[in-house]
Amino acid sequence: MSAKIAIVGGGPSGCYTAQALLKQAPDLEVDVIDAQPVPYGLVRYGVAADHQGTKGVARQFARVFTRQKAHFLGNLRVGQDISMDELRSAYDAVVLAAGLSGDRPLGIPGDDLPGVIGSGALTRALYEHPDAQTLPELGEAPVVIGTGNVSIDILRLLAKTPEELKGSDLGPVPTAWLAAQKIRRITVVGRSPAGAAKFSPVMVKELGELSQADLRLWGAGDGAGEALQAAVAASSGPLPIEFRFENRPVALEEVDGALRLTVETPQGPEEITATSVISAIGFVGDGALDRPALLDEVNAGAGRLYATGWFRNGSVGAIPQCREEGQRLAKQILAEVEPDPARPGRAIFADRKDVVDFDHWQHLDALELAAATEQRCRQKIHLREELLRPANLQDA
Amino acid sequence: MKIAIFYGTETGNAEMLADDIATELEDQHEATVANLADTAPDDLKAAELNVIVCSSYDDGDFPASAKPFVEKVQAEKPDLAGVRFAIFGLGDSEYADTYGFGSMKVAELLVAHGAEALGERPVHDAAGDDLPEDLAQPWLEEIIAGLDA
Repeated sequence: MSAKIAIVGGGPSGCYTAQALLKQAPDLEVDVIDAQPVPYGLVRYGVAADHQGTKGVARQFARVFTRQKAHFLGNLRVGQDISMDELRSAYDAVVLAAGLSGDRPLGIPGDDLPGVIGSGALTRALYEHPDAQTLPELGEAPVVIGTGNVSIDILRLLAKTPEELKGSDLGPVPTAWLAAQKIRRITVVGRSPAGAAKFSPVMVKELGELSQADLRLWGAGDGAGEALQAAVAASSGPLPIEFRFENRPVALEEVDGALRLTVETPQGPEEITATSVISAIGFVGDGALDRPALLDEVNAGAGRLYATGWFRNGSVGAIPQCREEGQRLAKQILAEVEPDPARPGRAIFADRKDVVDFDHWQHLDALELAAATEQRCRQKIHLREELLRPANLQDA
Repeated sequence: MKIAIFYGTETGNAEMLADDIATELEDQHEATVANLADTAPDDLKAAELNVIVCSSYDDGDFPASAKPFVEKVQAEKPDLAGVRFAIFGLGDSEYADTYGFGSMKVAELLVAHGAEALGERPVHDAAGDDLPEDLAQPWLEEIIAGLDA
């Protein structure tokens, strides 16, 4: 008798968990549920538009649905369209792999002023997420707070020329927006010393190779790694990107139509004038699910409830960690699950006409790829209503 | 022919290609698939032909699942004379400086211990339009045809 397992979240953690479950037990009924009408989560909406190679894992994930016979249930938001309790009573096990879609607030006075935007909100708009807000004006001198890979992704996109974006899937609206920005300099602010910054050396190297970038270190830049020093030495474009390490943001104020960021440095407080502030200091839950209470239950080990990826660990770890953790979790679930034929599984969704399946995604995917141009490898459909009812679905 | 396929992977793409290659071979050959992480150097001596699929990760590094195998070869210094292998790389041309370095380094290591490399070492570009199996299949057919001849 095969167990019924629901995975909440169709991003890399959810897909790798489904892959590992079905590899070890091909007869399982695995349903991957996503709030969006499309699968793959951050592979589609978080991995940068110009990192198409990284998005290549989507081919593996497609096979989870086409060959391993997982079911995709898209446009179904757990906590809103169905409660956690309903879901848990319908399945033998539930895996929470919903990620973290909220931006961690800076937690300083003024962090909610106009002109302050979270990296998640910005990248959702850049990558045409259905829930995205409008792209903001960044002005001449944006400040990016945070020195992780999300910060580097944003710096790279802001610094790239149209030619350097060739082959990406950046959409026409974000492309026009980038071209219209009149950025003269970018300041990157991080609390940690240069040597402890979380970005990967290879990302910094890539940034230093851009034609426009001129990477600089504020102060002595003590402890900057080899990659950053090499990138600083190698880059000589017209756009200064200054890294200020050991600068702890303490307050934001609005002064004469601009933002003033006060930072605490080893030499005392300093002020940085910014036309906009992008916070890239990690992610938190968006509140749709009661994450702390759910994780308590997961950790208690009862209740047929599991969690993986960012939802479990906080926003640390990249795609390889999702795979490793998914493989470990699949072993654990298979050792513990006790199938009960009275649990209906996906039958509870039979009457929901607005839930979309993997065939639906394959039509969208074909439409998006068919709209590729010389410059763009794909043109994303971005409005929710079009993702749900694409105008030319019949032609795909 | 007895063909042993091994993969060194970080995100699973090399494993997927190894599975595809095995599926393609299974009608005419006796093909096995194993993770390099679970492979001892002497395991390369079992088959007439070893096919290795290996990606690169980060700054031209070995992918996670190839590392334990590489460390065993470096520690045990096995004599791999008589071992024949063909190697196919997975890379990302966005990182041009170190493109395909993972597979290159595995190939160099095996050759340094006496193994014989057959054919070219193609590298599939994750940032390109080709599918890896479309490159790997004709490449391997040619190598196998050369051995049969």
